[in-house]
Amino acid sequence: MKLVLGYLYPSVMSQYGDRGNVLTIVQRCAWRGIDVEVDSLEIGDRVNPDRVDLLLMGGGADSHQRLVYEDLLNVKGDAIRKGIAEGAAAFAVCAGYQLWGHFYKTAGGDELRGLGVFDAHTIHRAAQTGIRLDTIELAGSVRAVGNLVVQWGPYVLVGFENHGGRTYLHDGSSSLGSVLRGGGNNSEDGREGCVVGNAIGTYMHGPAFPKNPALADHLIRAALSRRYGTVDLVPLDDGNEDTAHDRALEQATARPKWWWRRLSDGVG
Amino acid sequence: MSADNLRQSTGSATWPTRAGAVSVGKSVRYLSRTLGRGGGTVLPGLVASRFDRGLLTSLARELPNGCVIVTGTNGKTTTTRMLAEASRAAGLHVITNPEGSNLLSGIATALLIKTNAQGRLKVPATAIGIFEVDEGVLGPAIEALDPRLVVVTNLFRDQLDRYFEVDFVAGLWRRGLRRLRSDATVVLNADDPAVSFLGDGLSANVIYFGLDDQKWGKPGLEHAADSRRCPRCDQDLRYELSFYAHLGHYACKECGWRRQDPEFTARNVMLDRAAGSSSLIRTPAGERLLQVPLAGLYNAYNALAAAAGASCLGISPDLFQAAVRASTGAFGRLEPVRIGAKQAVLLLVKNPSGFTEALRLMMSVGPQVRLIFGLNDNEPDGRDVSWIWDVDFEQCRERISYLAVSGTRANDLALRLKYAGIVTSRGELIGGPSDSPDALTQKHMLVDEDMTRSFFTVVEQAPVGAVVYVLSSYTAMWTLRSALVRRGYLAPFWRQTATLPDAGQARAVPAGRQAHADQGSAP
Repeated sequence: MKLVLGYLYPSVMSQYGDRGNVLTIVQRCAWRGIDVEVDSLEIGDRVNPDRVDLLLMGGGADSHQRLVYEDLLNVKGDAIRKGIAEGAAAFAVCAGYQLWGHFYKTAGGDELRGLGVFDAHTIHRAAQTGIRLDTIELAGSVRAVGNLVVQWGPYVLVGFENHGGRTYLHDGSSSLGSVLRGGGNNSEDGREGCVVGNAIGTYMHGPAFPKNPALADHLIRAALSRRYGTVDLVPLDDGNEDTAHDRALEQATARPKWWWRRLSDGVG
Repeated sequence: MSADNLRQSTGSATWPTRAGAVSVGKSVRYLSRTLGRGGGTVLPGLVASRFDRGLLTSLARELPNGCVIVTGTNGKTTTTRMLAEASRAAGLHVITNPEGSNLLSGIATALLIKTNAQGRLKVPATAIGIFEVDEGVLGPAIEALDPRLVVVTNLFRDQLDRYFEVDFVAGLWRRGLRRLRSDATVVLNADDPAVSFLGDGLSANVIYFGLDDQKWGKPGLEHAADSRRCPRCDQDLRYELSFYAHLGHYACKECGWRRQDPEFTARNVMLDRAAGSSSLIRTPAGERLLQVPLAGLYNAYNALAAAAGASCLGISPDLFQAAVRASTGAFGRLEPVRIGAKQAVLLLVKNPSGFTEALRLMMSVGPQVRLIFGLNDNEPDGRDVSWIWDVDFEQCRERISYLAVSGTRANDLALRLKYAGIVTSRGELIGGPSDSPDALTQKHMLVDEDMTRSFFTVVEQAPVGAVVYVLSSYTAMWTLRSALVRRGYLAPFWRQTATLPDAGQARAVPAGRQAHADQGSAP
């Protein structure tokens, strides 16, 4: 079996270790004897919807989003939408997630049009509140930053979020799961991420796949199903994955010690 | 009323407040040291500044030779140290803040311990402040200290949960540097596009430094590069040479903006594995051979930044040369520790580019290395540990003879190393120790969140004469270092930096430090 992974904008949109998601897919397939070809899809490169089985897009700053959004719309948009409609799998994180909705209004108030794969839109908190991001404190005040824990079906996903945008799902679109810790889509409705067919959008960095192997395998299975029908993946020894997941979950749900948070600012 | 008048008038009107604030600060420091809660390098300034908001500004104004600020993502501690040592060699009385205490409160503490009962600075006429400043507070630090010189080393992705985005930090710096007075000087890294562009349109004097050595350059960019875009027009930069991360020789394809020709360059850079480097430094005053006893290309960069800074302070190249040759690693920067007949070297790693460079250095010290990786997710480390996935661990495949992972996120490291192809899912090192003649190597990676326990386990199992390298994030290093201090292997960090001898004893610096290290190594 072979899986073609389309890695969208690796040089611009992979700011928060999201490259780890690519490594995870490549390794988990290799351990099972599944060949993986990684296509780097930079600005200007076209997407072949018949070739790519799984698309990954990571996070980036507002300025990075401005750089890629026209290319995403005009060069790759139709092919991505076609691929998703025909059952290709996708995982879009943070800035990637935002640009796959209908639009993203940046901190500066510009409206970037999105792909519209997800029936959702995003507004930066600074644009909602009119706060100017002149200092570290002000910039911090509008962001959702911290561990993110999400109930996804029977699984508890654990990762990290760091975003200024607030995403609102439109009526009838389904979320990835419900927020157990953290802000999720908008810190208001307790929902996180968005799912359309085999495409998942989420705010979860960490990166998401290594510590949540069920999620990685779900996408591998979904990506292969288009070509090979229902696929049974050989179970792997996920001892390290599970331990790292469980420890991260413990740390994410433990109460931070107030005095440490106070004092630690001075030693950094 | 101008801002300056305001500052002066509040300064004079509140001097009894200042004396009070200063004595409260000193009491806090006394208590903190007596109770053994650390060096008291932050809290005194923090508390005293609560009583007198203008404290830092008014104390800094009393420094007879003004202030120097060193900032940047990586290398600011080492650069500050080199600059401080060169200044001491030149006869200046240097007031500096110890490692880590690089927010305004740490600088305030460094100054307030030098005051008399009235809260006035009690320093000789040769006194100068040389401060390392956290990248998040450059603007407020410039406003408070009104420095004559600012050195910016580089801008990498670091602690995204605290600083958010690289562009955001560049914006903060740009606004901060605009507050400099026009006769001040800014020393910038020409090889880092985001840092170099800070000089654009600045009213202060701008001086550049950069590497001029083809053999350390590669064509193209590596993954840990954070700045690939032209800061002027946002288009792709074309790299003729890249040294590491996004440092190199570049030009914009679109607008033609390119690397500045630096006034200070290093060429003929020779790296001597873990021992250090030598290079020819070209300055407007001529060319000198510079020997840096700290390993790695990044320390050659730090020395070059310090050379440019020292020249701006009027320190002669000869004095600088001598001072740097005698310099030693700062807190956790290639800091050596002797444990009986074995040796450990501590390296602080904070971000993808720094970690990748540290690993590259490890790969140059020998065919196989003993490594301990430490990772915590406390605030000073960054609560987000995603960045380890941007570190190039893959270069260490089959090169590690003994491996331990530690810290609160030891399991995240273990997982990263599994996906890097360094260990199997059962934690066995792939292709390493089995082929090694060294009988005392372990087949399994040690996973133990307790940093101190892992350290002593690895050191105990190492053969006599072996070197163990510890690459660790901030608070994990802090924990380990405190344990080493308690057991007498190291001197407390505040004693190392705060009591460096002044000019008269400058020549005794290396000998004195050596004595420290020897004392520490006594079993």
